Amino acid sequence: MADKELLLHAEQIDKRFGPTHAVNHVTLDFYKGEVHCLIGENGSGKSTFTNMLTGILPIGSGTFTLEGKEIAPRNQIDANHHGISIVVQEQGTLDGLTVAENMFLGDEDQFMKNGIKNARAMVKKAQELLDSYGFNYIKASNPIENYTFEERKLIEIVKSTWFNPKILVVDETTTALSQDGRYELFKVINRVRDQGNCVIMIDHDMDIVMSMADEISILRDGNLVGTVQKDEVNVEKLKTLMVGREMNGKYYRTDWGASLAISMKNVSVPGQLDDVSLDLHKGEILGIGGLSECGMHEVGKALFGASYDRTGSVELADGTPINDINTAIDHSIAYTSKDRDNESLLINDSISDNISLPSLRDMGRVLSGRKIREFADKYAQEMSIKMVNTDQFVMALSGGNKQKVVLARWLGKQSNILLLDSPTRGIDIKVKSDIYNLLDDMRRQGKAILIISEEIAELIGMCDRILIMKDHKIEAELKRSEDLTDTEIIKYMI
Amino acid sequence: MQSFLKKARQSQFYGVALLILVTLIIWIIFWLLTNVINPGSFGQPDKMLTYLQRGLIYSVGACGFYFVVVQGLFDFSIGSMIILSELMSIAFIPQAGWFSVIVIPVLTGFVLGLVNGLVFKMLRIPSMIVTVGMSLIYEALSVWASGINGTTLQSEFSIFGSYPWNLVFALACFFVTGFIIKYTKIGTYSNAIGSNELTAKNMGVNVDKYKVIALTLTGTFCGAMAVLYLGYGTAQTPQTGMLSQSLNFLPLMGVFFGIAFKRYGHPIVAIVIGEFMVSMMLAGFIAIGVSTTVNQIVTGITVLLILALTTKRRNGAVVK
Repeated sequence: MADKELLLHAEQIDKRFGPTHAVNHVTLDFYKGEVHCLIGENGSGKSTFTNMLTGILPIGSGTFTLEGKEIAPRNQIDANHHGISIVVQEQGTLDGLTVAENMFLGDEDQFMKNGIKNARAMVKKAQELLDSYGFNYIKASNPIENYTFEERKLIEIVKSTWFNPKILVVDETTTALSQDGRYELFKVINRVRDQGNCVIMIDHDMDIVMSMADEISILRDGNLVGTVQKDEVNVEKLKTLMVGREMNGKYYRTDWGASLAISMKNVSVPGQLDDVSLDLHKGEILGIGGLSECGMHEVGKALFGASYDRTGSVELADGTPINDINTAIDHSIAYTSKDRDNESLLINDSISDNISLPSLRDMGRVLSGRKIREFADKYAQEMSIKMVNTDQFVMALSGGNKQKVVLARWLGKQSNILLLDSPTRGIDIKVKSDIYNLLDDMRRQGKAILIISEEIAELIGMCDRILIMKDHKIEAELKRSEDLTDTEIIKYMI
Repeated sequence: MQSFLKKARQSQFYGVALLILVTLIIWIIFWLLTNVINPGSFGQPDKMLTYLQRGLIYSVGACGFYFVVVQGLFDFSIGSMIILSELMSIAFIPQAGWFSVIVIPVLTGFVLGLVNGLVFKMLRIPSMIVTVGMSLIYEALSVWASGINGTTLQSEFSIFGSYPWNLVFALACFFVTGFIIKYTKIGTYSNAIGSNELTAKNMGVNVDKYKVIALTLTGTFCGAMAVLYLGYGTAQTPQTGMLSQSLNFLPLMGVFFGIAFKRYGHPIVAIVIGEFMVSMMLAGFIAIGVSTTVNQIVTGITVLLILALTTKRRNGAVVK
């Protein structure tokens, strides 16, 4: 390490949330011109550590020293002024503002003169920056609501990097991006590194970690397990370091079922789906893949009766039409959205309420608090959710544990048809493996499972059939095969 | 044709054009009805100017209220602030003359709004509860203020009750509001706080400060509305027992239009057209002989229908 120049030193960084010791006296060094990956299971303290560095959370105890000067950012903008920025895991832009206003939110002073904002100059600069990143199809003067989740993520990337930060934190961002979006993100990461700055990257995808990282630090239960050079390890070794035991990363199966569970015929949704038909069978895992805006995320909604202005039909094997969510739930259909915090969870509510919500209708007219708690406890334990108890608010859980809450809900409802959009988004390999095993068990029980995923390895490993979508239509159907490769799948996507 | 309509919908003037069109349709409907039922009672140019005059008064109040509602707060003390500002204006006319007609009500509104904001910040309880409580206090103060110099404005001081000064004053208020929304941090931060308070905080926005500013602006524009309202009515009796609440709702109508058409980028224009439309409808119903109660029911339903049919509503969007 002698030839590397120290940029940031974290000394005994510590953070508690009530009884949870989220980060336990972590001491770490970050050097100039490197990509330093932080890996660990969900709830291992990675995001808490970087949130303290970037001013999102106050530092519990310990110090951050940047280029010899102690810093304690009060918020993200204060962190920016110290040369530190972050691209967060969830949506970090605000509705009601324009693209330009979002890009300079909290940092408008450069456009202010005597308290008056030069709105034109702000838009001009924002547009120049967007153009310089190659995103000239995004108009700085437009309301941010005009853009998709992925485009808004790209805007966040520009917002976080245009001022050449000394430290850029990329917190589990790849899962929100399609292959194209990831390419743009990696370009930016490499540029930051090549300029002699440091990227702290949190990612659960070990292939991405191995391709991007120079150094890798592993956290487990808030403790630093160690820091390794990329050349010293392989993926299996990293998994073992993360989880504390050896992992079987092979999800490949060789059997599947055939009798029909649900079908959609000639379904169109304006701007989302164009004449899509598919069958999902009992005991089958059907995968849907494609680039982010190909329409695949709408397939889950359409099957769940949650699409607006849908034409065509969605029917169960017995001919029951599924045209609304209540009918879907009554007929044992479960759906999890990609946008977990906004569409799947009651984020400001307890784990207990979240798990029991769809099952309340089965618990009689007068609800019993004890019954609800027992129900929630049972399925929370079954999913091994890391929590104090089920009264804990979902908001305080890590991404993976939130996803476990969503799955526990439908496990409790004993749904027979599961429509899972990005089921392992933002989830560490241990939980991922647990979820795969759970899905495989469910499939063996004869349940029909649809997985919509941007992770090609997941589709190849888990699915009996894979439908590739492009431009809102099904472009190809690929049968399960050991010879199926990423390249073959990507060929149909683009 | 379809591509023209698509292009038109994307234009920032689409919302304004739509509102003007709806206003025109409403005018035609009432004009036709009154021509049959009660000829000459609606829609002539002089009457239209009267509707506009009323619309302008409430629009000025709505300008301040807009900042509070867009942040997700509410202010139930608007009516009491307007009444107290009017009575304070009358109270100091013998000593201060024109200064008391223009500056005292605005200043009173500013102070009351600031007090609302500071109490809200200090107590950390919902703005609805804070402002209901404060409203009771302001109503009591208005009884005290009415004892200083009575409740009537001398006619020589009522120039803001008619054209052209009411229009000049209202335009000045609209200009100031538009400027604040577009060219100061207050407009941007109000939208940001309304969108996601926690994220706004993480971006360094001093959320408490901007909530206090929003409530202060509401008070200030209530004071400005008081200038026009007093000039128009030339008298104001104090109200107690929450009776001042009835004055809250007409400015609120304008805010509904402003919020609904915010996406098009012209909330103030939407407020003014919306208030004019409501004022015209109320007059139209009276002209065709509809009772006040039925008038309110039909006006309420019509406003909801107009907003539902003319605003861009996204399928599946969360509406709070």
